[in-house]
Amino acid sequence: MQQAKTKGIRNGGNQITLQLMILPALLTILIFSYLPMFGIVIAFKDYNVLDGFFAGKWVGLAHFREMFADERFQSALRNTLGMSSIKLILTFMAPVLFALILNEIPFARYKKWAQTLTTLPHFLSYVIIATLTMIFLDPKGIVNGVLQGLGIIDQPIEFLADPGHFWTLGASLDLWQETGWGAIIYLAAITGINTEIYEAAKVDGAGRLRTIWHINLPAIKGTIMVLLILNIGSIIYGGSNFNQSYLLGNVFNRDTSYVLGYYTLDNGLLQMRYAFATAVDLFQSVVSLVLLLLANWGAKKLNGSNIF
Amino acid sequence: MSAIKLTWEDRSVNFIAVLLSAVLLIATAYPLYYVLINSLNDGADAARGHIYLYPRVFSLENYQMVFKQQYLVTGLGMSFARTVVGTVAAVLVTAMAAYALTKEKLKFRKLYLMLAIITMYFSGGLIPLYFVLSELHLLDNFLVYILPSLFTFFHCLLFMAFFRELPKELFESAYVDGAGELFVFFRIVIPLSMPVVATISLFVGVNHWNDYFIPSFFITKENLQTLPVILIRLLSLSEAQQQIQQYLGNHQSKVTMESLRYATLFVSVLPITLLYPMVQRYFVKGMLVGSIKA
Repeated sequence: MQQAKTKGIRNGGNQITLQLMILPALLTILIFSYLPMFGIVIAFKDYNVLDGFFAGKWVGLAHFREMFADERFQSALRNTLGMSSIKLILTFMAPVLFALILNEIPFARYKKWAQTLTTLPHFLSYVIIATLTMIFLDPKGIVNGVLQGLGIIDQPIEFLADPGHFWTLGASLDLWQETGWGAIIYLAAITGINTEIYEAAKVDGAGRLRTIWHINLPAIKGTIMVLLILNIGSIIYGGSNFNQSYLLGNVFNRDTSYVLGYYTLDNGLLQMRYAFATAVDLFQSVVSLVLLLLANWGAKKLNGSNIF
Repeated sequence: MSAIKLTWEDRSVNFIAVLLSAVLLIATAYPLYYVLINSLNDGADAARGHIYLYPRVFSLENYQMVFKQQYLVTGLGMSFARTVVGTVAAVLVTAMAAYALTKEKLKFRKLYLMLAIITMYFSGGLIPLYFVLSELHLLDNFLVYILPSLFTFFHCLLFMAFFRELPKELFESAYVDGAGELFVFFRIVIPLSMPVVATISLFVGVNHWNDYFIPSFFITKENLQTLPVILIRLLSLSEAQQQIQQYLGNHQSKVTMESLRYATLFVSVLPITLLYPMVQRYFVKGMLVGSIKA
């Protein structure tokens, strides 16, 4: 009886401690994630800074109608979808290939070095990546120098001034930055394969290529699907799209470099059209949520894997 | 011990694997190496170009110049302050929350999890956040670097996955001895969780170190600016030119705007390059556990 009582008190004490442990995190999301969600109402209002959130006339979908009619929005939407799609196609399988390749390297120390160094770009600031890009792809820069030296081109390529190159440039930068990082998770899955399976395959006379195809690849299939779903979900926000648009965009490549994230920023914080920019943001949030749910539903239909 | 005989297929697979990985390795490492050798080269000489393998005229003047520029030194200091404070605070808040969330007896556990999951998929967007920050007087305030990123649910999931793998007996015996949750958390759980603490610290720290968005749009005060913003200014070379002109007004120097840019670039890459390999060995372990659960 006595013992049960003390235990009860101690559990009560622990409950309060546990609640206090979660409190800072809870406050953080309430203030910085949930409070702003109420601000979304201004997307449907004629908002004026001086009047505050709850004043202002309801305007229904007027901001959205204006948005769809705006030529610059259409261009930003086209660029966002185009750039994200090209990135998805060109970069999605690269980490899978790289993980399979790394796994075949016979020298342990070299393998470690290759993995460490190729992962490093993932941790670089986009400001640095943009600066490196400008230095290397300058008409008088090293890339043009090498291409001209090898006789592949006569005139230097204007990588950053020609709108025709921007999307592939963006995908190439993603390839450079994320291939090594993306490979880590696949490599971990491959390393986790039971060695007995390899021995059995060897006894059955399977060579290296057949082993890769019939053991390594199937082992990471699930992971590939999960990441594909996440990638499709982020087509609208598109990972590096904003960084590239903001830091590498210029008046010359604007036709292909201007993306939705930049459009929101332009209208919102620079031109101070707050309500309108909130509407643009809401549009992006809703579309990416719908895409994610669709992709997840599709994956469930396909092979029963599901990330939620 | 006889060497296993390599088949023709083995040899070609080895060769192709080494070759392809070497291509990616060089493509990754060379740009950074190029920045290093150019930053260590005399500025006026570097302007002639063609420095590809090693510095032609070795000089540390570019780096001296970097550390003589008041705005660069301030930015560097602010970047360090933000990264250290922000990382320690965020890791503490996130790890504590994750620990509490792994306890079945935590009241409202399901509700908390639901609230957190939603933040992964939906947000109020930039403008409403801007107003919240403005109302809380966080614009132009050092705390805008720290507070909004105190908690990230993805990192919380990684912590939770790791905590669940810890042997239960350790907690049980501590509870029997009358230890409270805080004691268990700080004295037992955290010391055993160094791989995941190191991994998340790196993730959070890198985000702080690299971020240019907050200082660009939520900060206008010059003395609160961080290194990435200063690098953006150096991107537009005319600005760098002005800075150098100011400096050259009363000094003799061969530093050019290009060479100053290289040195600044390298200074900002260096901390990550040094820290990251130390933490990297924990990745595979920490991330694997996390990815299985998440």
